[in-house]
Order: sequence, then C-alpha cells, then structure tokens
Amino acid sequence: MSEAIRVEGLAKRYGNFAAVDNVSFRVRAGEIFGILGPNGAGKTTTLEIIEGLQSPDQGRVTVLGKDIQKNARWIKARIGVQLQSSAYFGFLTLNEILTLLGRFYPKRLPPIELLEMVGLEDRASSRINQLSIGQSQRFTVAASLVNDPDLVILDEPTTGLDPQARHNLWNLIKAIHARNVTVVMTTHYMEEAELLCQRLAIMDHGKIVAVESPSELISRIETTYTIKLESSQPLDVSQWNALQESGNLQKGSPDPEAHAQTGTSYLLRLDKNPEALNRAINCIVGTGISLKHLEVRPATLEDVFLELTGNELRD
Amino acid sequence: MVALTISNLKMMVRNRQTTFWALFFPLVLVVVFGLFDFTSPTSSKFAVLDDADTPASHLLVSYLRELEDRGLLDEQAQPADRDDGRRLVTSGDLDFLLMVPQGFGAGTANDVVQLVETPVQPAGPVTLIVGNEGEERNQLVIGTVRQGAQAALAKPASSLGYEDLDTTGSPAAPAGTRPDAVITERVSTRQASYFEMVLLGLVAMGIMTHATISIAVRVSSYRNLSILKRMLVTPLPIWKFFAAEVTAQLLLAVVQAAVIMGVGVFVFGAKINGNVIHMLPAVILGSAVFLNFGFIISAWANTPAAASGMGNAVTLPMMFFAGTFFSTSALPWLLPYAADALPLAPMIEALRDIGLRGATAWEVWPQLAWLAGWVAASAVVAVRVFRFS
Repeated sequence: MSEAIRVEGLAKRYGNFAAVDNVSFRVRAGEIFGILGPNGAGKTTTLEIIEGLQSPDQGRVTVLGKDIQKNARWIKARIGVQLQSSAYFGFLTLNEILTLLGRFYPKRLPPIELLEMVGLEDRASSRINQLSIGQSQRFTVAASLVNDPDLVILDEPTTGLDPQARHNLWNLIKAIHARNVTVVMTTHYMEEAELLCQRLAIMDHGKIVAVESPSELISRIETTYTIKLESSQPLDVSQWNALQESGNLQKGSPDPEAHAQTGTSYLLRLDKNPEALNRAINCIVGTGISLKHLEVRPATLEDVFLELTGNELRD
Repeated sequence: MVALTISNLKMMVRNRQTTFWALFFPLVLVVVFGLFDFTSPTSSKFAVLDDADTPASHLLVSYLRELEDRGLLDEQAQPADRDDGRRLVTSGDLDFLLMVPQGFGAGTANDVVQLVETPVQPAGPVTLIVGNEGEERNQLVIGTVRQGAQAALAKPASSLGYEDLDTTGSPAAPAGTRPDAVITERVSTRQASYFEMVLLGLVAMGIMTHATISIAVRVSSYRNLSILKRMLVTPLPIWKFFAAEVTAQLLLAVVQAAVIMGVGVFVFGAKINGNVIHMLPAVILGSAVFLNFGFIISAWANTPAAASGMGNAVTLPMMFFAGTFFSTSALPWLLPYAADALPLAPMIEALRDIGLRGATAWEVWPQLAWLAGWVAASAVVAVRVFRFS
C-alpha cells in the first residue's frame, strides 16, 4: 500500500468558527508525516476526524485504503492513537493497562515487549502516577502500539517534556518508524519537525498552507540567512536605515528567552541574494554598532512558518 | 467485557476512597445505631391477670410491682382474658404478662384451714408470658416472678417446678398439672427493633450513595483524563465499556449489602427473618437506578469534585427523606407521598418486608415494579444527557 491516509476537502465547523477549512493532504505509507502549526490551527480536530472521534461536515477521509465513515471498526483495529493529554486508569499497573487494552484488538503485542520498546520494562508493576512526565508520555506511546498497528497517530507527543525526555521520545519515534510503521504526528516545535519528519504539512487557521519535505520548504522561501544581533545601546536612525537596506530588520527576537532584552535585540532576515550576507556583515561593521552578541544562522522552518503565515509560531 | 469487569473490580478494590464510601460510611452508622440501646431508657410494659385473687397471689404480684417502683416496669390495664393478653404480647403492646390461675396458693401451708375446709380447685400453673425484650430484662422479671411464687407458696425453691417453653405464635396454654409450678412462656413477637429497621435502611443507603457518587466521579474523571476518548479510538464497542462498569458496580453492591447486614447481624445481634436471596432483585434494581443517577450527574459535572458534591446533594436529602431513619409518615402534608415515590423508599420497603417480615421477592412486586420504572426512566435521561467530552 502506498498511501496510508488520504484527506480530501475536509471541513469542520463549530458554530461560525471553521476549525478545519477545506483541508486536503496525503500521507505515504512508511513515512513520518508531521502537521506543524500553532495551537488552535486545527491540527487536533483534523486528527480526531481521521481517528473516527469526530465526523466531518464535508470531505472524505480514507485510512489504509478504506473510507473512515464505512469502515470505522476495521480501521480502529489497525491504527494506534496517542491522544493529546490522555491519561490511563490510575489504579492499574502498566502491565495490566496494556493487557486490558490488548484485549480490545484482534492482534496484539505482549505488554513486556511494548514496555521494553519504550524503556519501561522495569516499571511493569508501577502505576501511572508513579511515573515521571517523560515516562508516562513514553507509556502512552507504548499503549498506542498495543495492536502492532500499521499507522500510528501521535498528537503533540513531546509537548511539556524537558529536553532530555524530548530526545528520548524522538529516538522512540524513529524506532517505531524503523519497524515500518507509518507515523503521523503533530507538533509546534520546529526543530522536532525538521529532525523527524520526512514530509510536513503546515497548518494555520484551519487551512493547510504547504505540504513538503522540510528541506524543500526551507529552500522555497525568500530568506536564506537570519542575523540575530544584540547591541549595548539601541540603534540610532542612521544605523537602523543602513541595516534595513541589506535585509528585513525587526526589533526583538522570536526566541522567548531573549524577550527580557528586546530593547537592544534585533533580527535581520536576508533575502535570496548571493551578495546579501557580505553586504550585511560589512554594514554592521561599517556603522560602528557596538555588539554584545552576533549570530548568523541559515533559514529554518521558523522562517518558513513566518513567511507562509505571517505569524510567529506561538506556543 | 469480562476482562474489563475484572479490571474495574481491581480498580475499585485498590481505590481506597471507593472502599470508604462503599463500606465505611454505612458501617459507621451501623455501629452508631448498634451501640445505642433503644430499649433500655423506657420501662417495659406488663400486665397481670390474677384469676386467684388470694393473699398468696397478691404477694406474688407485689414482687412485680416492686420492679415498677424501681422504674423498670410499667403496669398496663388488665387484659380481658388469657387469649386477649397473649395477643397483646404477640403484637408488642405488652412485654410481659403474668397469669395467676384460680386457686393459686389455696393449698399452701399458709392457708391450712382453707385447704382442709375447701378442697383445692384444680389450678393450672402460674404462667409468665415473655415478649421480645432484652435478655437482661427478661431474666430479671423471670427471677422476680419465681421469687414471688416461692414466697407466696412458702415452699423451698427446690420443690418448686419450673418449665421453660419457647413458643412462637399462639399455642394452647400449657396444661400443667402442678399448681405450684411457674411456667415461662416465650412468645416471638415480630415487632422488629428500631435497629433492625435502620440496618436495612442503611443497606439501601450505602448502595445508593456508593452507586451514585462513585459512578459520577469515575465517569467525570474518565472524561477529564480523556479515558473515554481513548476507549473510543479502540475497536471496543463503547456499550461494552459501560456494561462492564455497571456489572462491576452491581457486584460491589451485592458484596456491600452482605457486609453491612453481616456486621448488623453478627456484631450487633440484629435478627433477619427473611431469605436474603430474595433481597437480590431489590438490591440490583435499586443499584441500577442510582447508577443511572450517577451517569446523569457525570454529564452535568465538569470536574470529579463537582460530581462528588452533586452526588451528595442528591443522595443525602433522599437518605433522610425516604425513610432510612424515620418513618416517612412523620412528614407533614403531601410529603409522605412524595418521599415514597423516590426510588430509595420502595427499595428500603422491599428490603424491610423481606428482611423483617419474611416476605418473598414476589410478595414485594409493587415495590420492585416501581423501582423498575425508575430504572427505565433514569436510563432514558442518562442516555440523552450523556457526553463523551
């Protein structure tokens, strides 16, 4: 099978609010497909329609080649789902929860194998509330694999995790992918999407703005480099104007940690001109800005997102 | 579904709060009511039927009146005849009835002349009919009567004959041949004690509070934790999930009823007359109504804490209103009818009829039918208002 999911003209409204607005995309079998977008973009609603939790107002969804409306039970037996912030029975052990969930499926993996996969084999007789956030997140992923699915849908699997737990989860997702399972995941972390996903759909205000591989998306946009600089004093008008000529200058920084110093922080986005980088560096040196910090980085998905939606990716 | 039911039972057992609500609260009340001795502060009622009217019989009766002076007994009007007196004991209007036969004391050493001049009338023995009082009080009264008879007949105790009869219902008066014997006759009065009434009320109350509150809290927390959603993305038909939930709760309700009654009977000596198996339909139908109440509450409550509060708001007034502790007939105006219409009232009534009056399950069919009506009506509402997210 070459196509794991096909979504055509999908729409879902809540009153006057279009949560999902004429969305179409395809997920190829065996890939890691990411849906990237800010909160409220419609990612979760789209996934819940695919999972059969909600019915669409318009459009057609096929999963593993079958129509979701007519074959819900068949599809549910073959996909694994990790819901956003879903917990499990607090009074059962991990082993018992996986055994119980397995009973609902015609095909199932042994609980201990699942726990080994997510590195929780020594917690088999623990309860959920005895796990760390990272561990319980890994457990919910294990629970989504209980039926040895062909397709796994993970809704923001890394939200709220510390950096190390997030890295563990990335490795886990790669390991699932290596078992030849198609993975669909949503995220609002750029670096995660860039690192994990073979193809990405960028979603905002209920619409899909682009579907491509991360590198294709990056190469498509106008920005090539972004210069982040911090001066000891605010720029004067002549300095500002000079920098503005070599690119797109903005005050502040999208990096939330830098917000405290926005008064003297600037972002300069350079366009697709081979000379742009040279010109900008010369300009910074020439205008005599007293630098506290200078960072030059190539364009990232962050820039893609900014250019496609006009928004910064908000948390 | 069996696996789910077993898992549910496991969770309930491990959830100490569930256990608390299921057993501890009603048990505390059983203990509280069991410790109160509702009989002791009042004096026991007795009456005397003195057919002899001799100095000896007066002496005997004076012994009992001495107990009255100590506030332990309270003499009632003399019954019309022996049968009337026996009936009064059986119905609980009298606790003790002393019957002195004609000719009592006529043949004693105290009355030698009479013995010589008039032949002794064939007299029956002195009979004391004992109702359903506390055993301590019974022994006191029996002992006093024996002492009195001994003094009246001025005979050594060893020569006095005693017979203990345990009769239930209304047997013919024992035809004793010895005029100087004292016969104690125990009559089983099926006047249930207040504690026994409350005990069966507590069984129903325990089932009600647990079923309503625990299902409301469980379902609303399942919804908050997205566990309901998680179930919906599996191929498990969702009705099986709820069926397992209900089955586990019903099993728990039966265990709960058994434990509460067990403590009442074995620790506090309550007497259960009926066949407890006949209580099952009332226990199960009642639980089903209250489980539906729980589902309805869970649909309105946004958090488990709110569900618990709402559950209490529904169950606590019903507990007092529907006759757990007091008879609904003590309510003013039309309220007794309203209280009896609530599902708890027929459940308690059925349990009491079976437990205290020995009725069978089919004899309480009006109550069971009323409960079944509640089950159906509450199920319709529960299905209408239920929401998954």
